[in-house]
Formats: sequence, structure tokens, C-alpha cells
Amino acid sequence: MTRLVEAQNVSKRYGRVQAVDNVSFSVEEGRILGLFGPNGAGKTTLLKAVLGLTDCDGQLSVLGLDPFRQRKELLNNICYIADVAVLPRWMRVSRLLDFVEATHPRFSRKSAEELLSRTSVRKDAKVRELSKGMVTQLHLSLITAIDARLLILDEPTLGLDILFRKEFYGNLLAEYFDEQRTILITTHQVEEIENILTDIMFIHNGRILLDAPMDSLGDQYLELMTSGEKADTARGLRPLFEREVFGKSVMTFENADRGRLEMLGELRVPSVADLFVAKVKGAVA
Amino acid sequence: MIANQLALIKRELWEHRSFGITPLAVASVMAIGTLSFMVIGSGFRDVIDMALVGASNVGETERRAMLTGLLSVYTVVVAISMGIVTVFYCLDCLYAERKDRSILFWRSLPITDAETVVSKLLVAMLVIPAATYAAIVATHLLVLLMASVWVEMQGGSAAHLLWNGAALLDNWVATLVLVFAVPLWLAPFIGWFVFVSGVVKRSPLLMAFLPIAVLPLIELTFESHLLVKAIWARPFSIPLFGVDSVEGMMDRAGGGIELREEMVSLAATLDVGKFVSSPSLWLGLVVCGLLAAAAVYVRRYRDES
Repeated sequence: MTRLVEAQNVSKRYGRVQAVDNVSFSVEEGRILGLFGPNGAGKTTLLKAVLGLTDCDGQLSVLGLDPFRQRKELLNNICYIADVAVLPRWMRVSRLLDFVEATHPRFSRKSAEELLSRTSVRKDAKVRELSKGMVTQLHLSLITAIDARLLILDEPTLGLDILFRKEFYGNLLAEYFDEQRTILITTHQVEEIENILTDIMFIHNGRILLDAPMDSLGDQYLELMTSGEKADTARGLRPLFEREVFGKSVMTFENADRGRLEMLGELRVPSVADLFVAKVKGAVA
Repeated sequence: MIANQLALIKRELWEHRSFGITPLAVASVMAIGTLSFMVIGSGFRDVIDMALVGASNVGETERRAMLTGLLSVYTVVVAISMGIVTVFYCLDCLYAERKDRSILFWRSLPITDAETVVSKLLVAMLVIPAATYAAIVATHLLVLLMASVWVEMQGGSAAHLLWNGAALLDNWVATLVLVFAVPLWLAPFIGWFVFVSGVVKRSPLLMAFLPIAVLPLIELTFESHLLVKAIWARPFSIPLFGVDSVEGMMDRAGGGIELREEMVSLAATLDVGKFVSSPSLWLGLVVCGLLAAAAVYVRRYRDES
């Protein structure tokens, strides 16, 4: 497997705030990595460093390039959506296609037009005349028509309704993803994308709390629903986090003995959202 | 690099339609003004007849001087309007993309910040002057055509009175030099406006003109004129003319005062060698380069998200 992104002890400080704190991770080709974290956790800063939008300490390599110093070369091979509401509002769709075609060596106008033909976006319309959902479709059509090895999406569906969000991720998988392509994505809507992810990473206070393949979560993490004396016994096994649901205790365990937990109540693999809460709250505790 | 520049310049033309609309509007207003003058003037038959006879009898030099002066009025009006367009373009070029956040999209494409800033300078210093030149030539032709029809209707000879004396080629060569030389001379102002456009968070017009207006004033209180000369006097001291004063254009040899014959030619009044060898021109270009480099730096390092 080729490593597309490799970070070693990456840090970024804004004045007194340590936005990213000595982070190390890697992203391999053909994976879909979800990067989650509460507001101000450092995920956008980390993505900016990967995109060469900000300089950082430590060693960071993206497609073998220094993203900050070799940004133009990098952008020939990666594409990203920082925010879907940033397409120039004065521009006509056809002009936008002309411009990206003229400036991006890996952009396929044919693919973009094909993608757009399946939407209600008119080519003679100005961006300002489109609804927010249509702007997202347009932006995604432009980006997915770029034959890039790495796609980075930072909160791409922010402010969109559930129908558009579902369509967005559906299109992303259908039109863009294959084993040669890699996607790095951040969103607050964890539940909506957990089924498309191959890997997840949790970041909190600039540090990585979890970096694991999705299919390994069941081996590492378990969620136990129990009550009464069994709950007291389970607490003795040092759960990562505990919460109350309908009068019962729900505890999240990391690398615990499955056999012992099975005797104490109902076991299941935690959802990404529950695991996220457990890891973040557990880290705080 | 060149492909990117062409695409970037095209984008500027798509975004700033005022480059085309302004000269069209100005030319139209001037054409309408000229037409109105002709229509109103047609009511004064005796005056027109006298004017036509007078114009037919004056010497070719005088007629040429008169027509050159007349066409220069149109040149100046178009040039000033396009100058205003240039100022507003420079103040908007790096500000608007931050205001509507489209900078995040532009920066997601493989185009460097330097390429973007250079494209803005090229538009201000080459594309707008080229549009200005085309507008001036078109206005001259339009006005001369209208005047020709009118003169013929009044019984005069347009070929003799207008086209023979207009010295169009001389006029257009001089205009060509002027429209490209003036932005070069004013390059430090262009660089300053582009820099301000890339830096300020609001009111770029105010933020650009406030220091230009206030700093020389403050300097005057210390009885120094360095900034006054460098900022206020610069637009009026372009070293492009062979003669520095109206006096130098006159001939007093015969006892009276007459316009020197060679001064009737606009092109003859220009001294390109003097302009190109002026240290002040090159210093101004260096200042423009430094300000543009600062604009690139700010665009590169500032967090717009």
C-alpha cells in the first residue's frame, strides 16, 4: 500500500493556542478516512497543513511533497472542498468549467458536464442564481471530474438538508471513489458517513485520540448495557466512559476481556458517534 | 504559467465587465453630446457658413492643430474614465475574493498566489490600457464620421476639412505611447492599490486614499516636501514630453507668439528615450514590485477560512 499522507510529530501553534500537538499518522491509498473532533479540536488546522494552506512544525509529506513549499505541484494531484459556499457567485457555470479546464491539468470537462447533466444545474446560470444544494452539486461535479489521487473534504455538507447530504455522499462513492483514490473527510454528522469510512481518526485538543481501521473497532471497543450489581462489577473493569440510558448503565470498554463482559450484560460494538463521545469525554475525565 | 495567466486574465474580463461597458458608455455620451451640438448648431446657418469658410481658408497647420486639440478632448475624457476604472479595479481585485470567500475556491486550484497577483497587475497595466486605446480610436472614428456627415450636409468638404487635417496616425501613435506609458509611470500607485486591496478588511477606497492624502500633509508641517513630490506631484510630472512647459512649445522668432510647427504633431512632443531612461520610472516600478510581493505574501500566509 502506498502512503499518500505521512505526518511525523506535526505541530501548529497560533499564538498561545496549540492547535495541533505533536501528531503522527499516515493515510494509505484507496482508503476513506473520517477525521472527527469537537469544535476547535484542531482538525481544520491539520487539514490546512495537509493542503499546504498553513506551515507547521514536524515532518509532513503529502504524495511525497512538502505541502507548504510545493503547493502548486501538490494541487495538480489533490483536490479539496474547503466549503461549498465559496464558488464565485458572479460566475456562470459554463465559465467556471472553462476556467477549471484551463488551469487544472487533470480536469475532465466531459466528466464534469456528464455529472452536471444529471442535476438541475443549468450551464448558463450564474452561481448566485443556484440554490445551496445546486451549488454543492456543482462544486462536487467540478471536484470529482478532477483525476486526483487525494480528495479532501472539510465539512462539505455544512448547512445542507438531509436529502442533499445523503445524495452528496452517495455521489461521492458512486462517481469518485475507487481503489486508486483516497478521501479524507471531516464532518460533524458522524452517523451519516460512518458506513462509507474505511478508517477513522479522532482528534481532541490538537492530539489524536484514536486512529484505527473501521473493521478493527469491534476487536478493540465494546459497549456494555447493564444495571444493578453487574454494573458495579463492570465499573471495576475500568470502562472508558459511562452513560445512563433508560435507567440502565451503558459503558464503553477499550481492549477489555470480551468473555467477562458477556457475563455482565448485553454487548455490542459502539457506533462511531458513541465511541467518539466516549473517547472525548474519557479523555476529559 | 502562460496558460494560467491567460486564464486568469480572461477571468478578470468576465468578472469586471466595466472594462467594456465604461468606454462604450463614455463614447456613447460623447457621441450623443457631439450629435446634440451639431443638431443645435444647424439652427445657426450664418455662423456655420462663416465657420466653414474660415476653416477652409486657415492654413493646414492651424487646421491640424485645431483638430488635434479637438480629438485630444475625446482622448482625455476616455482616458480619465478608464483611469477611474483602473483605480476601482485595483482596489477591488484582491478584496472582493475575500469578501465573498471565493478565494478559498481559487486557492484550491493549482495556481500560485504570485500568478494571481501578477495577473491583476497585467490587467491594470496592459489590458485596461489596451481597452482604453481601442475605445479612444473608436471614439475618434465615430466622432469624425458623424462630423463628416454633418459637414457634408452643411455644404462643406469633410475630406478637406476633417480627414486631411486630422493627422490620425500621428494622434494614434502618440495616444498608444501615452496609454501604456502612464500606467508604467503610475505603477507605484497601482501597486499600492493592489496591496491595500489584498490587506484591508473593509473600506479599501478610504484605506488607500487616506495615507496618500494625509501623510504628505503631515510632512508639510515639518517643512519637508519629499512625500509631496513622490506622491502628490508624481501624476503631473511624467517625463514623457520633450518640452516641459507651454512656453517651450511656442515660437517667438517673428516678434509674435506662435505655436511651433512641429508641436502640432502630438507624437513629436513625446520623448520616449527620456521616459525610459528616467530613474524615477524604474524606482516607481521597483516600489510597485515590492508592494505586489507584499500582496502575494499576505495572500499566501493569511488565514481566510
